[in-house]
Amino acid sequence: MSSIKKKRVSKKTKSAWRKTDIKDVEEFLEDQRQEERVGSFAEKKDDELFMVDATPLKSKQIILTEKQRRKLNAKKPLRSLEALTNNSKVQDPIVKRNRVRQKKSGRIIEEEVRNPTKPRHFQANKDRERYYESLEKKLKKGEHLAKSAKDVWAEEDFRDKIPGLKDEKGWISKDLALYVSKNIGKAVIKVHDSIRHRTTKAKKFEAPHGGMSYNPSLEDHQALLAAVADKEEKIIKEENHLKRVTTQMFSKVTPEERDKRLMEEMRSGLGEEDDGNEKDDATPDGVYKSINPPVENKKKSKQSRRKELQQKELQKKQAEKKALKKQTADLNRIKSIKNEVIAEEEQLNDLKKHRKKVELKKKFETKRLGRLKYAEPDTDINMPEDIAGNLRNVKPESSLLVDRFKNFQKRNILPVSVATGKQKSKKVKRFPRSSHKDPGVSFQMLREQRKVKS
Amino acid sequence: MRRLKKYQTGEAAQYITRRAALRKLQLSLNDFRRLCIIKGVYPREPKHRRRAQKGSSDIKILYHAKDIRFLLHEPIVWTLRDYKIFAKKTGRDRAIKDFRNLKRRLALFPELRIDHIVKERYPTFIDAIKDLDDCLTLLFLFSTFPSLRLIPREQSALCRRLTLEFLHYIISSKSIRKVFISIKGFYFQADIKGQMVTWIMPHHYPFKPHSKAEVDFKVMSIFVEFYTIMLGFVNYRLYHSAGYTYPPEIHYEKQADLEDNYKDELSYVSDRIAALNSDLDSKTNEPEEEIEDIDLDLIEQGQNSNREVPREPLVILIRSFGGKVSWDSTVFTGATYAETDESITHQIVDRPILSDKYISRDYIQPQWVFDCVNQRTLIPTNKYFIGATLPPHLSPFVDSKRESYIPPEESGTGNESSYNKDGSKSDENILDAQPEEIRTLDDQQLQVAYMEEKLEIEGDGYVQSEDEINPENDEVAPKELQKRDQEKLSMSVKVGKVHKENKRLNRKNELDEHRLQARMVKPRHRNLFRKLIREKQDKEKEKWLLKKKRRIIDGQNKDN
Repeated sequence: MSSIKKKRVSKKTKSAWRKTDIKDVEEFLEDQRQEERVGSFAEKKDDELFMVDATPLKSKQIILTEKQRRKLNAKKPLRSLEALTNNSKVQDPIVKRNRVRQKKSGRIIEEEVRNPTKPRHFQANKDRERYYESLEKKLKKGEHLAKSAKDVWAEEDFRDKIPGLKDEKGWISKDLALYVSKNIGKAVIKVHDSIRHRTTKAKKFEAPHGGMSYNPSLEDHQALLAAVADKEEKIIKEENHLKRVTTQMFSKVTPEERDKRLMEEMRSGLGEEDDGNEKDDATPDGVYKSINPPVENKKKSKQSRRKELQQKELQKKQAEKKALKKQTADLNRIKSIKNEVIAEEEQLNDLKKHRKKVELKKKFETKRLGRLKYAEPDTDINMPEDIAGNLRNVKPESSLLVDRFKNFQKRNILPVSVATGKQKSKKVKRFPRSSHKDPGVSFQMLREQRKVKS
Repeated sequence: MRRLKKYQTGEAAQYITRRAALRKLQLSLNDFRRLCIIKGVYPREPKHRRRAQKGSSDIKILYHAKDIRFLLHEPIVWTLRDYKIFAKKTGRDRAIKDFRNLKRRLALFPELRIDHIVKERYPTFIDAIKDLDDCLTLLFLFSTFPSLRLIPREQSALCRRLTLEFLHYIISSKSIRKVFISIKGFYFQADIKGQMVTWIMPHHYPFKPHSKAEVDFKVMSIFVEFYTIMLGFVNYRLYHSAGYTYPPEIHYEKQADLEDNYKDELSYVSDRIAALNSDLDSKTNEPEEEIEDIDLDLIEQGQNSNREVPREPLVILIRSFGGKVSWDSTVFTGATYAETDESITHQIVDRPILSDKYISRDYIQPQWVFDCVNQRTLIPTNKYFIGATLPPHLSPFVDSKRESYIPPEESGTGNESSYNKDGSKSDENILDAQPEEIRTLDDQQLQVAYMEEKLEIEGDGYVQSEDEINPENDEVAPKELQKRDQEKLSMSVKVGKVHKENKRLNRKNELDEHRLQARMVKPRHRNLFRKLIREKQDKEKEKWLLKKKRRIIDGQNKDN
């Protein structure tokens, strides 16, 4: 039972009927009329009533990749320039003020080339022809050689090259001419002499020894062989000497022997076998006496310090006395002192001479230009078996290129260097930036895909 | 005045390390090396390394600071820097596939111009000739190389061309003086404008690749680059001085299909030799003058070389002394006449046996030509026939008048040459009266003879000069004429007396002279003099010892 009692409205009058809601009745009646007209739903077939909707439910969600999105964004006007745009709906009262020029009508170059209309087009075409001709000439090689044939040592004055410097009356001095040419840019540069100084006495071509002939005489060949044998002997002798003073100083033992000796040495203090002998050597008293006792910091007393000072002074006085005595004694010894001085001077002179000699000898030797020292190449010589009497079978010993290279090193032109191997080029790891990668998958895209699905 | 710090003056300021030089010049190491080699700036060793290297004791490569400052003024430094820019620009064009611009840029490749550097390094022509030794050897060597990784193809072609031109000049100027065949190659010495130029031509062997550890190819290639330009200029000057045009037109024309020519080494070589065999075109058609010094091959002699003989040096030698050469036309190109030609006088063979022989020719081994050149005469060919053991080929670079031991082979064969030399000398130098120290019988007689002649001439000259001073010519003249007539009458050829040499007296005179010389030496030179004498005595002793050994060996051989 509802507490609120609905007040019954009478439906006697028209106004009352106007207040009530008769929609449902009207609807029902309409439906009835419609059914009578058309027919009821139950009678109709499915096809007449329904249609399969082929259109997609929503428009296909366009999932843009990062790249595409960025490209689209790039086409939009810049955010920073937004303040400059006019967003108001009020039109500008002066219509002709803001005239936005549309895209410039560019010049089409191909048209100009093919159909020249203006004089500057013709000029451009002509210039281009000339340029291509000169380019072709430059591309052709071989002309350089014939052109460069000239006499370099012909006497030339630098003043001829600069117009206006040569004066018949001689008013333009040489200094002035040099100054002017330097400021123009065609400076005349003096070459200092030290660039041509010889630092070596080595000759460009050592006169070939007779033994190096392809058909040498007996003496020459023997002499050369003897020289080579001498050198080899020297090398062997030095090697032996070095071996003697280094490796032969150390005794060589087998590993077992070495281990045995080690054990013996380490075991030497522990007397396990000879107990009787060991005991006698131990100290008779049981007091522990160490060989290196700890040191005590005893301070010196005043007396001892005083005594020490006195001793020092005494010593000083004695030294002075001794020196004085020595001076008087030396006066008697003047002659021998003089001899001593002369001997020292001679020694110094000898040393000076020796040093000068060494310097002079070193002046024209092969210098040490780089880290490595110059090593003389071996003399090439045909062994007696190899000597061919005829030109067909000459056995070549060393290559001429190596010989010339070593000769350059000997004459202080090239420093001795070791060949650097192939430099390993560091493999640079190349990778594309994540922004420039092929369309892969990003979180954004995954999120949107999820949205589409759901 | 700012306080002077350590290493600001002295040796430390004179030397500069290589790294500091690179930074100063703003070049890479390869470019710097190239620049230094082309300009002739070389590293130096200081007297005191620690001072020069500002206290560090490792061994760095040092240059004179003055040299590096000089290099700063060089215009090719800009060209070397342009290379880097060029590389960058063309690399970019190639990467963005702009081939039109790439082609244009490649045409504007910055080329090194080295002409002014040649003039700077060799201010006079003679300086350049003094440095020709190295240049020629390297260029001959590089002309035999195939194209390697670090050596451009054009370089070896250029070397070939230049060396060929130089050889043509040598042939036409007949300036070869000495030859020597050694195991390294052929040594040549020629006399160009008064300077002796020596070079080595390598034997013709297939190219052996060198390891990088032995030789630095790039560096040698840079040397060759400079030397090619230098030799080009030298050739120009030599040709013009001899009256030919440069670049020369050599009559021999290359065959039609050039590809075959460049296929293998043999055809290269044969082309070269064929070119050598033809004459140069002269500017003016003057008849060539005969040079009297060399008394060698007559011009009509033709010589024919067989197949295994090394042709190039032979062609050079034979043609430079006026002979004509040819070879089998089926094997090599450029033969001027056939093997069956009748006018051939000598045929050079290297094989031990030859089947068919012509009577009119001498069949000899190639060493004959070389020995002839060294001795400057046509030596008899009997020792050089096919199959005979050749006499040893001696080195002509050794002084023939040296004081050390001269083996009998050399002195035996060399006698004629020394005789010739003396004879020619005495003919030419009439007014030069420098008596030689080593006197032989012949020499002495000649000396006496021309001393007399000299006196006569001098006497005449003296008389003539007196004539000019004395105004009274007429009076004096008939007197002089009379004198001369008398002399003429007394000048008849008489039978000469054999001049007997008193050996003992001569020896005594010599000793006395030496003693006087020794006494005249100043006290401060005495040590040096004593040293010299001792050295001389040692040499004599060695010589005597070797002679004795030889005597003993010969004696033993005779017994056996």
